[in-house]
Amino acid sequence: MKPLAIVVFALFAVSMNAGVCEAAIQGRTGTEFDLVARAGHITTGDGDSILMWGYAVGNGLMQYPGPTLIVNEGDLITVRLKNELSEPVSIIFPGQDGVLAIGGNSGLLTREAPPDGATVVTYTFVASQPGTYMYHSGTRVDFQVEMGLTGALIVRPSSGANRAYSHPQTSFDREYLFVLSEIDPTIHELVELGRRSEVDMSRYFPVLWFLNGRTSPDTMADDGAPWLPHQPYGCLPRLHPGEIILTRVIGGGRDLHPFHPHGNHLRIIGENGRLLESAPGAGPDLSYSDFTLTVVPGSTYDALFTWTGEKLGWDIYGHGPGDPLQPNEYAPDHGKPLPVQLPEKQNLMFGNHYSGSPFLGAFGDLPPGTGGMNASGGLFFMWHSHTEKEIVNNDIFPGGMMTMLIVEPPAVRIP
Amino acid sequence: MNTVLKVSCVVALMAAFAVPESAKGAVFYLRAGETNLAMPDGQVIRVWGFARDTSLALNDGTITVPGPALEIPIGDPNLTIHLKNHLPNLNGAPVPVSIIIPGLTAALNPVRHVNGRVRSFTHESFPGTPGTYSWNDVKPGTYLYHSGTHPALQVQMGLYGSLTKNFSTGEAYAGKIFDREVVLFYSELDPALHSAVALDDYGPGKSVTSTVHYAPKYFLINGSPFSGAASPLPAGSVGEKVLVRFYNAGLKSHAPLLQGAFMKVIAEDGRAYRYPRERYSFLLPAGKTMDALVEFRSAGQYAIYDRMMALTTGAGLPGGFLAFLAVSAAP
Repeated sequence: MKPLAIVVFALFAVSMNAGVCEAAIQGRTGTEFDLVARAGHITTGDGDSILMWGYAVGNGLMQYPGPTLIVNEGDLITVRLKNELSEPVSIIFPGQDGVLAIGGNSGLLTREAPPDGATVVTYTFVASQPGTYMYHSGTRVDFQVEMGLTGALIVRPSSGANRAYSHPQTSFDREYLFVLSEIDPTIHELVELGRRSEVDMSRYFPVLWFLNGRTSPDTMADDGAPWLPHQPYGCLPRLHPGEIILTRVIGGGRDLHPFHPHGNHLRIIGENGRLLESAPGAGPDLSYSDFTLTVVPGSTYDALFTWTGEKLGWDIYGHGPGDPLQPNEYAPDHGKPLPVQLPEKQNLMFGNHYSGSPFLGAFGDLPPGTGGMNASGGLFFMWHSHTEKEIVNNDIFPGGMMTMLIVEPPAVRIP
Repeated sequence: MNTVLKVSCVVALMAAFAVPESAKGAVFYLRAGETNLAMPDGQVIRVWGFARDTSLALNDGTITVPGPALEIPIGDPNLTIHLKNHLPNLNGAPVPVSIIIPGLTAALNPVRHVNGRVRSFTHESFPGTPGTYSWNDVKPGTYLYHSGTHPALQVQMGLYGSLTKNFSTGEAYAGKIFDREVVLFYSELDPALHSAVALDDYGPGKSVTSTVHYAPKYFLINGSPFSGAASPLPAGSVGEKVLVRFYNAGLKSHAPLLQGAFMKVIAEDGRAYRYPRERYSFLLPAGKTMDALVEFRSAGQYAIYDRMMALTTGAGLPGGFLAFLAVSAAP
């Protein structure tokens, strides 16, 4: 491992121990949002600092992706946009119909805010159906989405909390957002050098890949990590055994990304903000199970995921036969021993996420200087783009479109 | 060609002509040739395309890209295409051509180079020697036809078109009724290859030796990139069932996104889904066709654009895979 990566992983370990992770999807709730398009620099895992354009909340910093707008089904939503950039920008809302735009100037796809920092364009629509959506610029869409003018929109069903859609079979215990995107830094460098006119989008060649606007390992850092002021959203799914997490996946860039969860399959119950059902009210009877989700740019996916260790053939807690069951434990494997004899420590290499024990919630002796990134005895599963070249940061491995899912012991509180 | 073969060919041709055309189902006379396409940024691109003529003897059609839209009569499983070859020579030799239709069954007769590599998926047509291509199991659906000879070059050069057959009048597939039809035929151009072919500078020992460095710069819907001058496509009125047929004859995948309305995607590759898929966008891989039904709820112009961002014309102009569907108020 390169020295830089060691430093970054060490930083991450510190942040994990601080333990301020958030399980709910971070964002802005309400019915009215004031966004300003402005510029700022993000940092990437290769040590780069890249000029981005993004949607900021009011006087806040540019952020990538833009603020996640979390609204309720049936609400009348108002989004006001001002523009502090150097060319007109706008917002369109794929999957919403009847969006009314007033103010500003007419553009190709919608009304646009001129780059004067003052003119307000107002977009209003009724969030008529629950689901996961996105919003992004409707002006020079290829260029401005690349520059960062994009964000997530979540419409919660009126039928109740902790459901993706109205139907009870879409219930979840926790939810996480995955906005998949990529950029070609040469475009951003040309813009920064005042050579915007030289940008040729047909020569697009991305080398940086993101989850929620961060490259790995920053994906695993806290929401709002202070050293990532323009990238406020982490991407570290955590669950207790047997809990159901809703993964809201958004194709935010322009390339296909096969998104690969480890640990279990995803059960995809919704796409494009619509429940996969054969008839209204049927529930997700057309859902399907994937271990590599084809994420199409511009499309969204709602998938349920759970993990109990079912059918591993050994007891994940290391129980004896007489011990009580843990909540949601897969009973047929209760008390079954680990079916291999662990090698002597001098014959092992130790990954950063190994607690010293194969059992959930347990720790074991580790040689000095090893481990350290698993504060709770959790089980770590890598979730990543299955286009393996996308798990680098501009040619430096590991990085890119990659994070970890942590199965936490029942006693560990997940906020 | 020896005399015996020549004679047998003539006999075969005569035999083909002896059968009344009506008994053979739909018959089309296509001609492969070259023409020029003007791009909105002023570039003129030499392309290869198909024309539809009224007979083998007459060259009265116009070469277009995409080629002519072929419609198979309802209830007719038979299709015959007579193909004339008016392509220019490359490297001093004639360029053979053929037609295949992915999704339709046919007995293919591959043609090989002398070194054994396949050159054509089926028998070829040469200048002065038209070929005949037949199918007898054409099911209702939306299909692409394209050259089956050196397809890496010839599909890119523009030798493709659409073929459709309805289940019944106003019914694309069984139970899939529509009032209006909109065609969105996507294809791409890499001017570097077209320029090399136009200058006979493509092939072994020439400045462009293969299609491996494909880098499209122009993205065409129904033969033109979007430009401000483009008229919106008429898409019926509010409440009507609008059938949108999507074709991707390009070499890359794209993701059409309909802004402001949902589609019911009803078929893929000419086969109906058991359950329609309600989407505002979907993946349209190279070589695929998709059918969607849309019922617009209000009048207006609806943008449909490629979410994989082929939204440029040449290096700098906005355009590419963008079109508007014009929906009028309910009558």
